[in-house]
Amino acid sequence: MGRHRDQTVEGVDPHLNVRVHEAAPGTTGPHRPVILLHGFASSAKLNWEDAGWITALTQAGRRVVTVDLPGHGGSPAPEEMDAYSPSRIRADLLQLILNAHVRPLKDDDDSTGVDLIGYSLGARLAWEFGATQPELVRRIVLGGPGAHDPLADFDLPAAQRYLADGSEIADPSTAELLRMAQLVPGNDVFALLTMIEAIKTEPFIPSEAVPRMPVLLVAGERDELAQTAPELAKLAPRAELQWLPARTHANAVTSRAFKTAAIDFLAG
Amino acid sequence: MAEISFPLPDLGEGLIEATVLEWLVAEGEQVERNHPLVEVETTKSAVELPSPQAGKVVRVYGEPGDIIKVGEPLIVFQVPDDTAGIVGTVPQEQAPKRRVRLTANLDED
Repeated sequence: MGRHRDQTVEGVDPHLNVRVHEAAPGTTGPHRPVILLHGFASSAKLNWEDAGWITALTQAGRRVVTVDLPGHGGSPAPEEMDAYSPSRIRADLLQLILNAHVRPLKDDDDSTGVDLIGYSLGARLAWEFGATQPELVRRIVLGGPGAHDPLADFDLPAAQRYLADGSEIADPSTAELLRMAQLVPGNDVFALLTMIEAIKTEPFIPSEAVPRMPVLLVAGERDELAQTAPELAKLAPRAELQWLPARTHANAVTSRAFKTAAIDFLAG
Repeated sequence: MAEISFPLPDLGEGLIEATVLEWLVAEGEQVERNHPLVEVETTKSAVELPSPQAGKVVRVYGEPGDIIKVGEPLIVFQVPDDTAGIVGTVPQEQAPKRRVRLTANLDED
């Protein structure tokens, strides 16, 4: 095969850390890849590998592609805010799919298009990407999704004061997000705050662009960030919603019921 | 037949304990190495632990919600005598088959 010439969608290559996991030997499944988008302050490793998703999907015969978002996992943490904006990340994702020579969806050809699974911030990105790329995205699974963006309400000045001198953060959601961000070793907290700044300029407005393909929403019953998942489900014409008993935003991600539901849904 | 016990492995980064979320195997079940065993949650994240051993599950420790400390018993397997001398270790994660970086060769444009 000769070298192909890649076009950069936004003119600048993001150098995102992308990993491909082939379907397990002896399994059969659709050839189209499943792209996994992790949540804020997480990474492909934490959100998907350690939680058992790569094993579950590849054992189900799926080829899996993970991407670390900018400032997360093995991806670089640029200084400029634009690198972290949701629109820019969606463009980077499109770039990645074009580079992989994914062809637009065609009926009866299981090597065309992609499936998406996103968790939390990754679910927001998957919602928007599916809405804007209907010719590429076949089905979407959204984990821990909400109609409101907790990152858009993040109290950035309070977080910066806390990091500078330890001043207490009044807003519990801001305090919890920052706690999670700082718990993960290797997290670049300043890159994460830059991402929040970028997200505040483009908050999630799910009604602006609605995915028309089948969407499965899955959330823990005790997930406070996903209490508005039914609103999202109502917006999308082909959405189903599944609740995971007793699970929270932090621990729904390993749920076997979640994985099984996602695998079955993507096989449909 | 012999029994091999495995403790809750070191989950890294100074984590000393984990809460059992859900067992994915039952006592009496035959499992393969790397088969998902149990979901646990630490203060950092939730993880699924793969089986370090092929064998029949004799005993699991901890109901959902119970806290297990690193090094405390997690699971006991029954294995044929000739394999019992081999001390199991927690498998490392499988290396990805391929690593791709999106790199534009600007010289070509």
